[in-house]
Amino acid sequence: MSLFSFLGTLEIGFIFGLVAIGVYLTFRVLDFPDLTVDGSFTMGAAIAAALIVFGINPYVATICATIGGAAAGLVTAWLNLRFNILHLLASILTMTALYTINLRIMGKPNIALIMEPTVLSPFESFGIPNMYLKLMFVAFVVILIGLALSYFLNTQYGMGMRATGANPRMAQANGIVIKEKIYAGLALSNGLVALAGALFAQTNGFADSTMGIGTIVVGLAAVIVGQSLFGSRSMLVIIFSCIIGSLLYRLAVSAALNADFLGFTTSDLNLITAVLVGLALIIPHLRRERKARQAAAGGAS
Amino acid sequence: MISCKDIKVTFNAGLATEKRALRGVDLEIPQGEFVTVIGSNGAGKSTLLNTIAGDIRSSSGKLMFDAWDVTNVSAAGRTRDVARVFQDPLAGTCGNMTVEENMALAYGRGSRGGLKPALNDDLRDLFCEQLKRLNLGLENRLGAEMGLLSGGQRQSVSLLMSALQPSKILLLDEHTAALDPKTAALVMEITDQIVEEKELTVMMVTHSMRQALDHGTRTIMMHEGKVMFDLSGKERSNYDVKDLLNLFAKARGDGEELDDDKLLLGA
Repeated sequence: MSLFSFLGTLEIGFIFGLVAIGVYLTFRVLDFPDLTVDGSFTMGAAIAAALIVFGINPYVATICATIGGAAAGLVTAWLNLRFNILHLLASILTMTALYTINLRIMGKPNIALIMEPTVLSPFESFGIPNMYLKLMFVAFVVILIGLALSYFLNTQYGMGMRATGANPRMAQANGIVIKEKIYAGLALSNGLVALAGALFAQTNGFADSTMGIGTIVVGLAAVIVGQSLFGSRSMLVIIFSCIIGSLLYRLAVSAALNADFLGFTTSDLNLITAVLVGLALIIPHLRRERKARQAAAGGAS
Repeated sequence: MISCKDIKVTFNAGLATEKRALRGVDLEIPQGEFVTVIGSNGAGKSTLLNTIAGDIRSSSGKLMFDAWDVTNVSAAGRTRDVARVFQDPLAGTCGNMTVEENMALAYGRGSRGGLKPALNDDLRDLFCEQLKRLNLGLENRLGAEMGLLSGGQRQSVSLLMSALQPSKILLLDEHTAALDPKTAALVMEITDQIVEEKELTVMMVTHSMRQALDHGTRTIMMHEGKVMFDLSGKERSNYDVKDLLNLFAKARGDGEELDDDKLLLGA
């Protein structure tokens, strides 16, 4: 792997760290499996790209993208909470609708951002080579957000969110308004994913209507890889294990694609992802089964 | 403190499975009273408790906490005045959060939940001090995951949690039913301590007639969604489990007493 592609892998790893944090918030904290992220990732990229091309300041465009993603999360939460649509189904509905909405936002299937200003433009005069600059920028943003989020999850509000997912009845008995936490959690999660999309579009120079496909699996992969490596209760460790999981996942995929003897091509990416995530889910299960069998055998003798 | 006026609750109204769980409950519970609630299965004890807590909305009637009309207030909204302990030891706490985090959640009951850290050293000291009362050694396990504790330990912590914030009403739904006799006795002892200390108004549902008479200041028996009789004061202190059973059989005026004896004495 060349240095250039290594740095590029890390950069994408950090960006998808945001996705992993978002997925962690819904799947693990709120126990609300949310597939909206496939749409909100693209939406973030679409809004940012469309606004930048339109001449809006890239920072303003990125903030708008984040808000757009948060709104998509609110729609899913609303469908689920107000109309009692199963959470998975509600998120699939939003995701499907977003595909069209994203095309409308961009006005065409893809937008190139090659010569446009981006959030990186103010730093380009520092003379740091672009590939380092991009990596430093996204690493800085993602680590900052990781720190903020692990602080948030230990506040009264954040802890209420965790209780909502873990034991809604108990949460309610302690005065926590469950619906409010789910709305807030889904908005936060999809906002982060849209931010990731906006950053991805700006560092990679394009937005495409299909770029979000599989986002959920990649996010989930990062969460699972991270959590199986660092089994901790500390929010700080958990959040950063999502980010590290994302980096490791990207490196593993990139290594698999680069290993010529395996003969993989880029188009095999989705299969590799599915197999990796599958293994990460299957291995702990098999291990538990074996332990249970051993315990049973030990008890019998 | 708690005033129920003709509270009716119907599940599945209009369907074949319609169930009239409460058929007009009138109840006045003054401040500081400890009411034990008994009755056979399906009598409406838990429904009454859940209606007061706000988990179930009454189909008609009026529910007041002092001058506060809570008939249409959500369960979360009512927690300003109401604390509760569930029957299932797993229900009152979050298994995948630590002991101190669970207690911090309970400590925040009634507040909006701000963006300040939920835990700090002062709170940890307070939690430690509270946990010492249990004599279960939990004061050294603040950082342990709640799921690692036994059912009795979890229920004891739930009870402490219900008293961390000042509240006026404590609702106990068979909170010792899932525990072994020794732990149940300990939990009841702590219950009495907390109730006395905080001068709470309490409603405790129980299946044990013995427990119903030994604790509290007043006993009501529910039957088919209504309060069948209401014992308090001197009259109550003269009652024994046997008298209670006789009264129950007499009031029902049918021959089912033997079956119900089993039901009522079973726990």
